[in-house]
Amino acid sequence: MNVYDRYELPPDKADLHRRAVRLEWWTIVFFVCAVALLAVTLGQSQAMKAAWIEDMLGLVPPIAFLIADRYRNRAPDRRLPYGYHRTVNVAFLAGSIALLGLGAYVVYDSLVRLLSGERAPIGLVELLGVQLWLGWLMIAVLVATMVPAILLGRAKIKIARELHDKVLYADAEMNRADWLTAGAAVAGVLGIGLGLWWADAVAALVIGADIVRDGVRTTRAAVANLMDSRPQVVDGTAEHPLPARLLAAVLDQDWVADAWLRVREEGHVFVGELLVVPSRDDGLVERLEALGVWARDFDWRIHDLVVAPVSHIDPAPADR
Amino acid sequence: MWHALVLVVVVAAGCGLPRDVDGTLDRVRGDAVRVGVAENAPWTVVGADVPGAEVSGAEAALVRDLAVRLDARVEWRRGSESTLMAALTEGELDLVVGGLLDDAPWTEQASLTRPYTTTRVVVATPEDVAAPDDLAGVRVAAPAGSTESAELADKDAAVVRVDDVADVHDMPVAVDDWRVVPLGLRSTRHVLHEEKHVWAVPLGENAWQVEVERFLADLSADEVVRLLDEAQRSSR
Repeated sequence: MNVYDRYELPPDKADLHRRAVRLEWWTIVFFVCAVALLAVTLGQSQAMKAAWIEDMLGLVPPIAFLIADRYRNRAPDRRLPYGYHRTVNVAFLAGSIALLGLGAYVVYDSLVRLLSGERAPIGLVELLGVQLWLGWLMIAVLVATMVPAILLGRAKIKIARELHDKVLYADAEMNRADWLTAGAAVAGVLGIGLGLWWADAVAALVIGADIVRDGVRTTRAAVANLMDSRPQVVDGTAEHPLPARLLAAVLDQDWVADAWLRVREEGHVFVGELLVVPSRDDGLVERLEALGVWARDFDWRIHDLVVAPVSHIDPAPADR
Repeated sequence: MWHALVLVVVVAAGCGLPRDVDGTLDRVRGDAVRVGVAENAPWTVVGADVPGAEVSGAEAALVRDLAVRLDARVEWRRGSESTLMAALTEGELDLVVGGLLDDAPWTEQASLTRPYTTTRVVVATPEDVAAPDDLAGVRVAAPAGSTESAELADKDAAVVRVDDVADVHDMPVAVDDWRVVPLGLRSTRHVLHEEKHVWAVPLGENAWQVEVERFLADLSADEVVRLLDEAQRSSR
């Protein structure tokens, strides 16, 4: 048995993964452009600052994804005998905390502005010899940054579901947060234009609260992941069905009297232990080994499964 | 959602955005503009603080032009920059002038307009003095208590601190670029720094700010130099 084997995605998933990597590079290009463009139009106004900080934080999940991508398929070695799959979990945590931090910043910033009754000045700008209100230029830039964020987010969320990739999912959420804050900033600039000084802060506050909620949810999921929680589906709304299906299939084998399965998520893949109570002893070693191979072929997510025979299994009260 | 956004933008454009939070522009038009002025010759010369005394200087003349355009009177309020900015924040003034620069620290209290003119402090030489290639070790006159003096010292020039560089005829001087020709000097390639001039308006009065900035953007650089020159002559 080769205990140092690498993990490779099945060909169709590998294709999807390559697409995800390309999307993430495009995301980085987009955010760098957006940060530069917003910096130029920012002026003295506080209104667009949240959208700007947002775009800077938006770089965290794609960078985390691409760094994790460099490491996750490395074979286990002496220092890291469980392999490198968990880099994906670490990246997921980083992305989630970036999302949470962004939401907290937006809420804090808009509360301060609201309570201090701050009024944003937006004056005149001269563009190619034409004088126009800077607010129009701000709105144009914000809308221009919204469109790619919407498209990138939609493409990523589909791939994230297929690949069971939580980093990509957190990143897609970040893109959603991004175009929502840009939308709020557009509303805010229009509000300032209408002489409603509070409109901008109120819009940002509503969006900020929404981002905080998303951030809390994904951070909880990321921490639970590192605590070896039961595998969840990629958006964290339900238990993953695979472990139950695998256990049922194992129990279906005619030489298995009883079985118990414990798996955790290491990035895309599931890793864990399978205890079986054999009903007969002939060729047990070969059958256990074959069961291990069979389990790995059962689904592409099952990767590292230790199969051990036991004489009997006490039903644990925690196993509902 | 997109349709809604487009609709909002179109409607907003029709309504004449931006508008003021406190309606400054509507109030000023046809009535009076309350201008805070701090002494900063030749940009502003406040004169005696007695009723009827005239405020003069280049920016005072520009403020009067702006008032004419708005069909309004000018009510001058004299003070230091600090007190005027506080009054502007509280809505007691509509405009503050006084040779303000774009890096002024008043961004929390006021909105600074876009710079309307840029002046440069240059090293210039009298007719019969050769332009120095390198300032190191060269005697250069500069106004005492100015940043120019410090900048020249940084370049290892032998700074001669004087009250007015117009009285210096035997060495290069640090002087505003618009004074070079009136003083009969010649510019050298040494530019010490740039000053971008702005006015201050209340925060959030965006229609008013846009009106003021439109007025300032339409000014020609020659007009500003002419007013500065005039103000400089009358003060001597």
